Formats: sequence, structure tokens, C-alpha cells
Amino acid sequence: MLCRVAEDLYWMSRYVERGIAVSRLIDVTRHLELDAGAEDFWAPLVGAIDLESDDVRFYLTTDAMNPDSLVSCARQARTLARGIRETISSEMWEELNTLHVSLASPAGSRQMRGEAGSFARAVRERLETFQGLAGSTLAREEEWQFLELGKYVERADGAARVLNRQSHLLTPPPGVGDPTGPDTVRWLAVLRTCGAAEAYARYYSMRVEPARLLEFLLLNPVFPQSVRFSLGSAYQALDAIAALRAAAGNDPGPALRTLGRACAQVEHSAIDEIFDRGLQPFLTDIQTLIAQASDELSATYLRDEPAPARLLGVERAAMIMSAQQQQ
Amino acid sequence: MTPETKGERASMPAYDPAGFWDEMFEGPGCVRPHYTNLARRLGTLDPHDVARRQRAAEFSFQARGITFAVNQDPGGAEKTMPFDLIPRIVLPEEWTRIERGLEQRVRALNLFLHDIYHEQRILRTNIIPAQLVLGARGYRREFRNVDVPLGVYTHVVGSDLVRDGRGTWFVLEDNLRVPSGVSYVVENRRVLKRVWPQLFADYRVRPVEGYPQDLLQVLRAVSPVSDDPAVVLLSPGVHNSAYFEHAFLAKSMGIDMVEGTDLFVDDAAVYMRTTRGRQRVHVIYRRVDDDFLDPLAFRQDSLLGVPGLLAASRTGRVTIANAIGTGVADDKAIYAYVPTIIKYYLGEDEILPNVKTYVADDPSDRAYILEHLAELVVKSVNESGGYGMLIGPHAPRLDVEEYRERILADPRGYIAQPTLALSRHPTWSVDHLEGRHVDLRPFVLFGREVKVTPGGLTRVALRNGSLVVNSSQGGGAKDTWVLESA
Repeated sequence: MLCRVAEDLYWMSRYVERGIAVSRLIDVTRHLELDAGAEDFWAPLVGAIDLESDDVRFYLTTDAMNPDSLVSCARQARTLARGIRETISSEMWEELNTLHVSLASPAGSRQMRGEAGSFARAVRERLETFQGLAGSTLAREEEWQFLELGKYVERADGAARVLNRQSHLLTPPPGVGDPTGPDTVRWLAVLRTCGAAEAYARYYSMRVEPARLLEFLLLNPVFPQSVRFSLGSAYQALDAIAALRAAAGNDPGPALRTLGRACAQVEHSAIDEIFDRGLQPFLTDIQTLIAQASDELSATYLRDEPAPARLLGVERAAMIMSAQQQQ
Repeated sequence: MTPETKGERASMPAYDPAGFWDEMFEGPGCVRPHYTNLARRLGTLDPHDVARRQRAAEFSFQARGITFAVNQDPGGAEKTMPFDLIPRIVLPEEWTRIERGLEQRVRALNLFLHDIYHEQRILRTNIIPAQLVLGARGYRREFRNVDVPLGVYTHVVGSDLVRDGRGTWFVLEDNLRVPSGVSYVVENRRVLKRVWPQLFADYRVRPVEGYPQDLLQVLRAVSPVSDDPAVVLLSPGVHNSAYFEHAFLAKSMGIDMVEGTDLFVDDAAVYMRTTRGRQRVHVIYRRVDDDFLDPLAFRQDSLLGVPGLLAASRTGRVTIANAIGTGVADDKAIYAYVPTIIKYYLGEDEILPNVKTYVADDPSDRAYILEHLAELVVKSVNESGGYGMLIGPHAPRLDVEEYRERILADPRGYIAQPTLALSRHPTWSVDHLEGRHVDLRPFVLFGREVKVTPGGLTRVALRNGSLVVNSSQGGGAKDTWVLESA
């Protein structure tokens, strides 16, 4: 597969997954806000304390200047999909394209200005449909592996980031605190943010406490939103991609080893050891390995020359030529 | 007439061909025989129903992203091509003549291209002034004495046909470089079938969806290697106005769509950069103009091309389709000589006539042009897409004078033609049918044989009275039905 196409597949998949994560965050925070009233739940989400909650909500939901806002994620995924529409299935392209068209419509902008929670849910539904369509329309070839790789790298990184940001909440010795108090509400919110509340309940069938919660979100081998599951799936995808490159007689690069080290961290740690070592350093370590693996796989498999000035030149030349073409 | 009494059959009685050749009506209220079934169906329709289907069609184009970028808008606005639901119907015997005429034309033009890049026999006989050919902007001396597989230079041709006030078909221009629009031929048919399947019930329409497979066969036939050649489509990228078409064709043919940066040349062979390493490329169906193809040979500021591609193609280790240097044969001044070219190489008279053309480079033609500027259509020889032209009868005085200056300054750069009363076709307008001017761009493939896709892009000038049908100038499109012969 062309390096350019692989790159666009990988990032399209990351943006879709990121959009899903952001929409869950918006939805859950909105819930908390409605439950707990006056307390400000929005500002800590972006690590800013001097922002109004309306501003943060805007920043996360529709702000076009924030590349990670829900609307930006949807737009960037669609822009990338447009550049590789001959590679993905028509169903996948149409899902992202109709989402884009509806967001740009008058009804879409009304919805954006309306209730943040329901807007986020509506967009998430479309993005999840996209992932489902990818699963049902693409052959399990290299294209699929790059989508998987992007999705799971993003998911592992996102989950680690959420846990890292909430680590102050999760670190105190387990068992302390009022089981019906505000902490339980927040712990539940962390589970919901990772789309894990129901699965947790079914798995442990007991009240939420930080150690079990972390064990579930970090180390569970079979729950698809856990860091361990995500890293394992990313590893499998990259392993398949690397094998093809190696079979063609070329060096598959260091990314697979780096990703393998990250996998080993979560596969071979118990939750007590992680607390002993310190939750935050552990998570930061995981995030660093993920970032390193992403850089390394970019250098080996993707287009390794983003230079923006050059891209601008291509754009200009394409326009000059359009003006001259035979249409 | 009140809106209520217009009622369900509003579309039919009001229609008047108004003295033009109308594709559907012989006279007011008098439908041509091959359109009667269609007319009967249209007659039973409620305008709201037509409007509803029109919206469904538009939505379908939007959802599938069948759009073109608007050149003047760097913000990347994407527009859908306006689509008119009322199909154009072409009789089988009419089509046969068009097919034969186009095949004759394409064969002659390819012999011409071979000749002017090799022996130049036609130039030595002075049948065509040598400086007209060798001085043409599209002539690429770098390609002298380079042989192309099967002797084919133009693998894909999109010639524009028009009919005059008496219904005679003419070739208005040949597009031999990178003609676009074929994706609309296929997509318009698909959408019309979806939103108005009943229309097809009364007719046997020849299918058009085989085009991409036919194109692939042509591209494989001209490969330098016979064993499983790697064919790619070279696109300028998402900012190009025909980007949808590039993606559509690549996907339908199951080949890679590449951009300039995906390719590189090593030891006169072309490779693409893939996740597994380099991979050899044998045939490039390029949708990038000559000027932008190779910064080492042509425009040095081009970032769309592949350095060294020209040299690679000269060695024959990669085939470029269409070949480099075909632009000379669709230069509008050379166009005037196509009937001569057909006679010279094939010894035949042309089946499809040219529109009478005055070449400003010729002194007596020039005098005629300058004297009759206000009646003529003046065209710049190298432009297309409806740019660089003056429609004398519709132009303000100031523009006419400007063109006079331009022609005097650069006579080689201009030709003129009489203003044609282009044929019209009933076209849906808000809640009734109105006559609008149309042309037809059929697509001709040339590999081991010549094949004309049965149909083509009928472009329609949506503004009342307008003669400009180009999509870049607000034109729309219709589905074109070529009927099976009985």
C-alpha cells in the first residue's frame, strides 16, 4: 500500500476514535453537571481553572480552533477519508461524508448550539457506525490493519491519558471514603468516560473502588476499552504489517519492539505493584512508549515528510491546473 | 392560468421549442417519436413529485461526495454538478454514425501525432503550415522519435459534439489531453435509476457502467510488460476539480491512485513508495497536464509531477496515457485542419463535420474575423473549460474591442467560429419544462481497438439563453440514453 494512503488511514482512524472518546467525555461531564449542580466539572477536563464551563464545553464540542474538539475530529477524519476514498469502502466514506454534510447544514448548526450531551451522542453514534462499517466492509488486509492500528493506539493513549488526569482521585488508599459520597460519583464517571461502567458492573458485581477500577481499565485482557486489550490489538495489527514488509526483504523498523515493551508493562504488572511504584509514573511511562511507537511507525511505514510549505505548493499548482483542464 | 388548473399536466402544454432544434419536440406540442413514451410519463406527473425526485437526486450526489472543487475558491468549497432528471435520448442509427465518425477522427489524429513526432510527412507537403504545428504550445519536441506502444497516443478522448438549428451533428472540439467527465456519465445513470426507475420501463437503454473495465483493458494493453502490469492513476490530489472522478476511476478499476510524491524514478524506471518498500509501476494513467508532469523537463515550479518521468517514458520502461505531447492535436487552430488530416491519412471524407473555423494566423481568415467580430465566437487556441472565449453577439462592445487587440497582438493564439444556434432539450425548471442548450461529450477509448462508450455526458446550460455548458461556468448535466437497436 502507498505510504501516503497508509498514513491517511492511520490518522483517519485515530481521529474517529478520538472523536468517540471526546464525545463520551462531553456526555459524561454534562451528566455530572446535571446531577451535582453548582460544582464545576468542566474546567479540570482541560486542566484550566480560569475558564468558564461554557467556554470549556465550547472548546471540547464545536471549537474549530481546537484540533481535538468533537467537530474538528469529525472534520479531519472526513478530510482524510476524502483523500483515500478509493481505498475505503463507499459505505465508510458516505458515513463520514453525510456526517460532514449534516454538520454544515443549518439543522446541524442548530444542533451544535443546543444541548451538548445529545449533540455529542448523535455524533458518536455516526462515528461508531463508521467503525462498524469498516469491520463489515473491508477485507482483512493491510488497509484494515492500519485502521486497527490507528484505532487501538488512539484508544490506549486516550485511556491512559484519562486515568493519568484523574490519578489524584484514584490514588488514595482503597476503601477510604464514603461509598455513596461524591468520590463514587466521580469514579463512576471515569468508568463511563472509558465506556466501561456496564462491563465493570458485570465483571465485578460490586461497588466501585479505585483499585478494581484501575485493574479493569488498565489490565483487563478481554475488555476492548482497557489499555491492555488496546495495546495488544495495536501490536497484532503492527505485527501483521511488519511481516509484509519483512517478507518483501525490507527492515520492519523498531516500532514493533517499542509497542511490545508497552504491552509487557500491562501484561506483567499487578495493580498493587503499580500503586507501589506510583500510578502516575506508570501511566506516564506507558504514554511515552505509545508516543515513541507512533513516531517510529510513522518513520518506517508512513509518509515521512509533512513539511507544510511543500504541501501548500501542491495545492496552488493543483488549482492552476484545474483552471486549465478539459472539463 | 392559475396554479390550480396547471395541476398535474403542467409540464407539457406550455413547452415551445421557440425556433431552435429541440431534441424532444418537432414543434409546439409535437413530440418526436422516440420521446413519446417519456412524454406520456412526464405528462402524468405532479410537479411536486418531480421536484421531490430532483431533491432526492441532489441528496444522493451530496452524500456520495460527487462534487467538484470550485477553482476560484481556495477555501476548498465543493459543489455538486447540477443534474437534470429529464434524460436525453439518442436513436441507435444516430449513434452508429457518431461512433463511426469518432473512430475515424481518433484514428486519423493518432496517425497525425505519430507523423509529426516522426517523419513529418504532412508538414513537408505543406498541407498544414509547419509553423502552425511545430510552434503549437502543445508540441513537445522532447518526444520526437519516441515510439509509443501500439502507436496509440490518445488512449482516452472526449470530443464535444453539438447540433445546429437543423439538427446536424458537428464536432466542436477534440479533447485529447486529460478529458474529464466520464464519472458523471456513470453516476448520472446510477442516480437516475435510483430516483426514477419507472422512466426506464419503456426503453431499452445501453449500459454505460462498463467504462472503467474497458479503460483498464486499454491501459493494460499498452503496458511495456505483458505479465501482470502495475497500472496506476496519477492525480494532482484533492484540490483538483476532477478529484472525485480520479477516485471513482481508480476504485472502479481496482488500481492505486497516486500523487506525484508517491512516485520516484530510479534508473529510468518508475516506482511507488509503499509500506512494504518500493514497487515498480508500468502504466500511468495520468490526470496531470504535460506542463506539470515532470519538473525537470517542463514547469520547474510544479510539485505535482515526478522528476525524471519524461526521461523514463522516453526509454519505454513506463507508458504514460495519454502520451505526452497530444495537446498539439487539440489545439483549436489545428482543429480547423482535422478534415484535411482525415483525408490525408485515411483517404476518406469526414463522417462528422467540423464547425466552420477561421484561423486568425491565416491573413485572409484574420481579415474576415476582424470584420465580423460581433457575429463570431472567438476562442483562444489553448484554453478549455469555457475560459478564454468571446461570444460576439452577446458580448459588450468593450470586450469585443479587447479581443480585437488580442487577436492583432497574437494571431496564432485565436480562432473564430460562427455562433451556432445550439440545439435545446427540455429541462426541468422549478415546476415546468423549459428549453435549454445542450452539447454532448462522448468518451472514446483506444487501445487494441477503438471503443465509444454508448452514452456520454450531455451538458446543459442551465441559465435561460446561455450557450456555455461547462461545469466550471454553471452548466449542469443530463443522463444520455443510447437506445438498443431493435
